[in-house]
Amino acid sequence: MRRHLHAEWTKLRTVPGAGWLPFAVVALTVGGSAAAAATVTCPPAGCAYDVPRLSLIGVQLGQAVVAILAVVAISGEYGTGMIRTTLTAMPCRTAVLAAKALLLTGVTLAAGTVAVLGSVLAGRLLLPGNGFTPAHDHPLLSLADAPTLRAAAGSVLYLALIALFSLGVAVAVRDSATAIGVVLGVLYLSSITIYLVQDPDWQRLLYRVSPMNAGLTVQATTGLSTLPLSPWAGLGVLAAWAAAALLGGGLLLRRRDA
Amino acid sequence: MSTVTSYLSLLRAEWTKFRTVRGWVIAMAVAALVTVLLGLLSASGSHASCSKGAIEVPCPAPPLGPGGEAVSDKFYFVHQPLEGDGSITVRVTSMTGQIRLPDIEPGVRRVTAGVVPWAKAGVMVKDGLRQGSTYAALMVTGEHGVRMQHDYTHDTAGRPGGVSKESPRWLRLTRSGDTLTGYESADGERWTEVGTTHLAGLPATVRIGLFAASPCDLLVTRGDFGGSVGQCRFAEATAVFDQVSPQGEATGGSWSHDDVGVSTEPDGTPHHPGGFAESGGTFTVTGVGDIAPFVDGETVENTLTGVLAGLIVVIVVAVMFVTAEYRRGLIRTTLLAAPRRGRALVAKAVVIGAVAFVTGLAAAAVAVPLGTRILRANGNHLLPVSLLTEVRVVVGFAALLAVAAVFALALGALFRRGAAAVTTAVALLLLPYLLATASVLPLGVAQWLLRLTPAAGFAIQQSIPEYPHMTGHYAPQAGYYPLAPWAGLAVSGGYAALVLALAVFRLRRRDV
Amino acid sequence: MRATIEVNGLRKRFGSVVALDGMSFTVEPGRVTGFVGPNGAGKSTAMRVILGLDAADGGSALVGGRPYRSLLFPLRHVGALLDAGALQPSRSARNHLLWLAHSQGLTARRVDEVIELAGLRQVARRKAGGFSLGMRQRLGIAAALLGDPPVLILDEPFNGLDPEGIVWMREFLAELAGQGRAVLVSSHLMSELQDTAAHLVVVGRGRVIADTGVAELLATVSGDRVTLEEAYLALTRNAVEYRATGQEGAR
Repeated sequence: MRRHLHAEWTKLRTVPGAGWLPFAVVALTVGGSAAAAATVTCPPAGCAYDVPRLSLIGVQLGQAVVAILAVVAISGEYGTGMIRTTLTAMPCRTAVLAAKALLLTGVTLAAGTVAVLGSVLAGRLLLPGNGFTPAHDHPLLSLADAPTLRAAAGSVLYLALIALFSLGVAVAVRDSATAIGVVLGVLYLSSITIYLVQDPDWQRLLYRVSPMNAGLTVQATTGLSTLPLSPWAGLGVLAAWAAAALLGGGLLLRRRDA
Repeated sequence: MSTVTSYLSLLRAEWTKFRTVRGWVIAMAVAALVTVLLGLLSASGSHASCSKGAIEVPCPAPPLGPGGEAVSDKFYFVHQPLEGDGSITVRVTSMTGQIRLPDIEPGVRRVTAGVVPWAKAGVMVKDGLRQGSTYAALMVTGEHGVRMQHDYTHDTAGRPGGVSKESPRWLRLTRSGDTLTGYESADGERWTEVGTTHLAGLPATVRIGLFAASPCDLLVTRGDFGGSVGQCRFAEATAVFDQVSPQGEATGGSWSHDDVGVSTEPDGTPHHPGGFAESGGTFTVTGVGDIAPFVDGETVENTLTGVLAGLIVVIVVAVMFVTAEYRRGLIRTTLLAAPRRGRALVAKAVVIGAVAFVTGLAAAAVAVPLGTRILRANGNHLLPVSLLTEVRVVVGFAALLAVAAVFALALGALFRRGAAAVTTAVALLLLPYLLATASVLPLGVAQWLLRLTPAAGFAIQQSIPEYPHMTGHYAPQAGYYPLAPWAGLAVSGGYAALVLALAVFRLRRRDV
Repeated sequence: MRATIEVNGLRKRFGSVVALDGMSFTVEPGRVTGFVGPNGAGKSTAMRVILGLDAADGGSALVGGRPYRSLLFPLRHVGALLDAGALQPSRSARNHLLWLAHSQGLTARRVDEVIELAGLRQVARRKAGGFSLGMRQRLGIAAALLGDPPVLILDEPFNGLDPEGIVWMREFLAELAGQGRAVLVSSHLMSELQDTAAHLVVVGRGRVIADTGVAELLATVSGDRVTLEEAYLALTRNAVEYRATGQEGAR
């Protein structure tokens, strides 16, 4: 396994664009969070915003770049035909996929940690100026606060799980544009179907099943009793999606001609 | 002439290129399919039913105004008949009301004194008492001063400010044939004209008199899952009129009074009734309801919510249409066949745009009729719109897909990498729409997103206009966009054209 | 249109690498002109400049007296085979030729004619992704012939062909030249060129080293009866960019 990891790491860091994609994750996540923190205001009468969740809204932008990173890690090989070279050098296909998955998780956790810390910092700096002061029941954002810490750590894990989900889809679909279309489609469309139906039971079911909505529940720090599922359970739903994608992709990888 | 022939040959070649890859043709069909399915899913999930006491009954269809639009026509009318020309002059000395507040304890009703901004009280000439019939009204409002309105959708402003015993308002509405003119005055001597209207087909005999009405109090809150929810609570308005003098034939008799449009409980008692009292020439009229367009229903574009799914598939196909050439070096063969590189790329854009347009038309041709049938079967009432508006929604939907296809193709030609192009196209076309409709962003930010980004094109789907003389939940998730329909599509088209120009520029300058 | 290719003082660099350094030659009609030189000599770059794909930094390349980009239906003037693998795998061979034909205002009948000419009738409706190397070469030749052009530019046409195919190609090229077309063939198979080409343009390091008939070249290189391969190697010894070590001793 060590040599698989080494080979995949060499491949990943020498792909053109591999260098700046993690930076783009950080930039978009922090940028999105900062933009939201700068534009949302809390009127003097008070407001019911979930502040930690608001300051982590950039994760919804960064996840798209994480998906690209995962997709190009494998689709590039199929596009150029290099997959044959890879599988000739390392015939155990499951090990190849596992190595890619481990590597992606590592890179995404690293970039995600920087991104999430940056977002929380941006929220901490910008929100008090917009009326989110302790006087309104909104204390300064701090990671010492257990729910905020859970929201932040959960967001980092969320990004890693998105990467694994995208990897599984990309292995199954092979073409980079289609893979990214499927990933973004599943993520964004499953999150808006909730607004298309009006039956509350259907809405709760769709919420529980949708990878983006359920996964982002880990960021919620207020109104937890009204949510259809608990934060960590939500992340678990996303983990199930990622596992299913990887499993499906792995099976197809093993059975198909290269 | 031969330049045209060469361009037509390029178009034909690009069309052959598209139709001979089965995967792309199937994908376009899938785009139409998911659009239809998602729209039908949304339609099946939308139910409307009203309760009469404890029983669920289908909701009554809203009355239609003279222009064919659905209207709300509910007010308290104190009136007399009028034959031919005449007028009515009144002095309004007070306008008060009450608004219901959200319950703190369940079941315990809380009300407070106050008027909602568009509470109305004044004088009116109306063609009978039928809901939806033509009318002209001159009124004072809760927060918008004196207004003259007619036929539900027209509104003219008079002098701003409220009324009180110290500063009353005189109102005069005169009828001359089809023409109605409204005047106001602060002292009853010097009159300023507020506005003039023509009510086509106004019969000789009309009702003329005093009225009061108050729309419900709208409160918009954040929904459980993000987005926002509108709540409308009961409000009523009471106005005091004196110095009432109707002029004209058949007036001068006794006053009739009617609670126009009042709904009744199962046992026959009126629900939220208005009221009327007269003592010594002073009339106190209380009304609940509104005389305005009715916009609380399903619209034809609600059957096309699948556009989001269709857009993603169209974007993927459009990007692949161009990046497939780069991946295998086929671009060189294309440029050998078409050395005028700008033309080659534009021919590609035209072909994929046309394919997406036809796909959109096909999808809408199925989704709209089927969707509206499902909506009606579920008890919903579709807000009627003119045929031209319906055509605009359908054609605009297809045009939006075409613009998205060209945009995505241009991005693919610019970046030459499939994943980056698809993500950028989705991020610029869909993400602003999603953020504006389904998240915590405030209304102002959401509207700027839908003005400045390529997602502005969604405005083409808006079938019900925003009426300034009505308080409504005018937010993107309710289907109201900040730009006019064609203006929004033009913004998206502008982005597509800009990126295409950049891609042509890049293609011309580089070695291949 | 005169069937000629005129290249005059072409200059091009890619960054710091000089690809073309004042290359000049002319390809005349009625004969096969071989275009040879070591790897990296600038053959492919020259061909791409002639075909308007790359822009030269200096000099000119004209086909029939006109630059390629000015031609309205270019494939009717110049047929080119550059990269046989440039195909959409999910598209059939016939459909590939069909879109090319449509882009030049040609009909499906012409497509079937060139399919017949290139011997691809059995596999025409098969997806190009499943083609072997030789089949792709034949498809590329078919595409080059689609417009019945007076000028042909072929980069490594013998590549991947089986022996029967090589014989066919050799005879085919001779027939095309005999029809009065100008045929420029770049190849590394010296033995084939010796039999096929009447004229030779030898390039090295971006410049033309020799522009002579094959017979004259063999005559000027002194020594016993010598093959084209030996004559070529002697000519280009100093112009080779990449040489594997361990071969020096063989000289």
